Amino acid sequence: MKEKEISPIDILMLLSGVGFILLFIGFAIFLTLFQSFGLFSITRKSAFTLENWKAVLQAKEPMDSLFFSLKMGLLSSIGTVVVAFPIALFFRKGGTGKGILGSIIKVPLFIPALVAAFLILNLIAYHGLVNTTLMLLNLIHEPLRMLNDKFGWGVVFIQIWKNLPFVLLIVMASLAAIRDDTIDAAKNLGAGYWSVFFRMYVPLAMPGILVSMILMFIRAFGDFPITSVAGPIYPASMAVRMHIMATVFQEWDQAAVLGVIIIVTTFMVIWAYSRLAEFVKREV
Amino acid sequence: MANLRIVNLTKRFSEVLAVDNISLEVADGEFVTLLGPSGCGKTTTLRTIAGFCYPDEGEIFFGDKIMNNISPNKRNTAMCFQSYALFPHMSVWNNISFGLKMQKISQQEQKKRVSKVMGMLGIEGLEKRKPGELSGGQQQRVALARAIVTEPQVLLFDEPLSNLDAKLRVQVRVEIREMQKRLGITTIYVTHDQDEALAISDRIVVMNRGHIEQLGDPYTIYRNPETSFVAGFIGLANIYEGTIVARDGSRYTVEAPFGKVVIVSDGQKIPEASKTVKFVWRPEDMKIYTQGAPNRVKGKILQAVFMGNITDIFMDVQGNKMRAQIDESRKLITGDVIEFSIPEDAFSILRR
Amino acid sequence: MASTDSKVKIPLHLIQARRMRHFYLLLMIFFMIVLILWVGIPILMTVMWSLVDPKNPWSYPNVFPPSFSLAQWKYVFDYTDIRRALRTSYSLAPLSVLLSLVLSLPTSYVLGRKKIPGKKLLMLVVLLPIIIPGMVVALSLSRVFYAFGLSQTFFGLVLAHTLMSIPYMIRVMTTSFQAIPQDVIDAAENLGANTFVKIRDIFLPMIRPGLLAGMIFAFTVSIEEFNLTFIIGTPTLMTIPTILYTFLGYNFIRTNASVVALLMMTPNIIMLFIAERFLKSDYLAASLGKM
Repeated sequence: MKEKEISPIDILMLLSGVGFILLFIGFAIFLTLFQSFGLFSITRKSAFTLENWKAVLQAKEPMDSLFFSLKMGLLSSIGTVVVAFPIALFFRKGGTGKGILGSIIKVPLFIPALVAAFLILNLIAYHGLVNTTLMLLNLIHEPLRMLNDKFGWGVVFIQIWKNLPFVLLIVMASLAAIRDDTIDAAKNLGAGYWSVFFRMYVPLAMPGILVSMILMFIRAFGDFPITSVAGPIYPASMAVRMHIMATVFQEWDQAAVLGVIIIVTTFMVIWAYSRLAEFVKREV
Repeated sequence: MANLRIVNLTKRFSEVLAVDNISLEVADGEFVTLLGPSGCGKTTTLRTIAGFCYPDEGEIFFGDKIMNNISPNKRNTAMCFQSYALFPHMSVWNNISFGLKMQKISQQEQKKRVSKVMGMLGIEGLEKRKPGELSGGQQQRVALARAIVTEPQVLLFDEPLSNLDAKLRVQVRVEIREMQKRLGITTIYVTHDQDEALAISDRIVVMNRGHIEQLGDPYTIYRNPETSFVAGFIGLANIYEGTIVARDGSRYTVEAPFGKVVIVSDGQKIPEASKTVKFVWRPEDMKIYTQGAPNRVKGKILQAVFMGNITDIFMDVQGNKMRAQIDESRKLITGDVIEFSIPEDAFSILRR
Repeated sequence: MASTDSKVKIPLHLIQARRMRHFYLLLMIFFMIVLILWVGIPILMTVMWSLVDPKNPWSYPNVFPPSFSLAQWKYVFDYTDIRRALRTSYSLAPLSVLLSLVLSLPTSYVLGRKKIPGKKLLMLVVLLPIIIPGMVVALSLSRVFYAFGLSQTFFGLVLAHTLMSIPYMIRVMTTSFQAIPQDVIDAAENLGANTFVKIRDIFLPMIRPGLLAGMIFAFTVSIEEFNLTFIIGTPTLMTIPTILYTFLGYNFIRTNASVVALLMMTPNIIMLFIAERFLKSDYLAASLGKM
């Protein structure tokens, strides 16, 4: 498609959407950045200072939060992809019932995170269905603490439940791009089930896998609603901690530091992804 | 390397009968082509041999072993796909050595075999390239290399040349045939191109709508087609039906719509009871009439197409359409009257 | 292994084949059941909780509530702010959809059809609102809004919701604009179409599926939006997500929360099933997947 040259009117048109975003997000990012260094402070006199940074980086609690959020990000993204990939492979073949099945599995996509948290909460609560069933079956003698547990398994599970269709769609699109011929050729040359899986499907679907892992990581890392409802009291996730810092302790400047850390981590992950994607393209 | 046997193979896709009770025996080292128009069942048959298609009825035997339930990766076949199906994420070397890797052949042996095959096909130097960086012809050769390096029991080709330009097609098909002869691998080749089939096959299986129309070596298929489909699909044909007015051993005098002809058919017997016979002859067998030549036919030219070395003539013979091809350069125009002779042994009797 | 009696040999491979078929069928069914349970049970549980009869509380060891009633629904509608929240949510959404549509169209047109240096970077900027975690944006934006008097205002929320839906809008619309073949436009111009006609008769009809997809996305984003609404709107303005949050906090009343959760979920699911029928999931994958 021949693209036409750009004109001044086009720049104006660009500004409507991009400008709007840049305006608000720009404000937000810069304000967060400056406030972390003590400028434009709303709680204290504005002055450049590294106090806030020192307070956050040298204390145990914020670092625990950072570690916790990273853990959530990692486990959620890996977990969802690991569950989604076989399902995507299953759907690749098409066939009877896959239409309805496809619709059913997409449902969590349309359920907001907060609602999803609540739905699963009902199940895995101390007196919820899962515990009740397990106890009735005599598999456990005491209810398991799956909610608000120290490790964060409740959060991971909810993230997987809610985001499975999202990752599934992306991975399925990636798999759809793989030609049947290619897979047939591999089988024809002697590749058994696992060889086809690891040498064909996984490498060829890697772009989709990477994209969904990145997006999932960011979501889970910076999540607020799910973690505040189902996560452990301590450590709080970065977003929850930031919120408490700002609204409860009124330590907006320190909250800003946390905000900067969240933003920086997010961008580092995106950068790492683009490098990884390049690497994968070149190898194998 | 044992032979290949297909017994009463039938395959349905929903309502459609793709393959209808096909049986075929292929000898060791033979090059058999499945030839036919799209939808005739040739690709389905091929895929059944490879194991990608499960027969609804019938069996596939490699030697004495029944292969029906053996999955494609456990069969000792290697297939060349129409789209080449090279692994896009792997280098040429890794593509070619893939089958050997699956067979758990040692690195040294892999290296030896792959280098040898690449040399055979003239693709040395491409080892590190990715399929996306190769030309069509190169991709084709890599696909071929990948298949033969595994030294399969049966080599399968699914219209491997259709994506190449005409000149390359002619060149590569000869190379494929030479290679096959040298290696002596039993080969099943699928194509819709009759020139290809005639040029390289030991035997041709002409297929139409799921069943076999005729089976035989290229010469026989061409000179003695048994059905009007085969006659029309391969080469040009004049097909007519006439009443038998006299018999004399293998000489039949037939009253055709355009006149009387004498047909000498040896080998093809017409049953005593038959009153009519369907027959065919090739336009290029018609000769300009000279005194005393058999089967004289006078036609009015509808269209004469000068093609350089031959002239293609469409004419009307007493209301019947007929086609002739002569290898003389004659200037002929519409409306001219021209006389031909058809040699008595140029005819082939058709079953249907 | 020579075949002596063909009648005896042949059935074996057919039996094997049949066994394999049965196995796969069973696997499929098992998979389907797991899937239905995976999605269905959480929803079913919530439905049941919302229907619990206050006179017969549901607790362990009952697997089902002892009796059903609509009392909870009545309670939530009569005694909580749900009506207000519903009104707010469903008036915010259309407005933010409209605003993001107006802002996105020109940008998407340029991004989809013109040659721009740094397009990749621009596309990344477009995604910023969804890349940067919501709570960070919410907290910092709330200060900005406060400074401009937009905090706790309806208009402020409209702006916030628009900010979150524009990225999806732009992505989907850009893909739509990109997909229009230049030939079609050239042909129209050749036949004398001016800008207005081009817009009305070529562009708008051809981007319609993308437009609808984008609007549905934007609508859903607005209805579900939590982080910004929570920080900027509460307590003056409540939407369904924020009111749900209050039911999950200190005054955790499972039954109330269940009702609100269902109120939030159902229109979403219905709307998006409708969207699925009309649109291909290519759009979803395209807008979410390409980074």
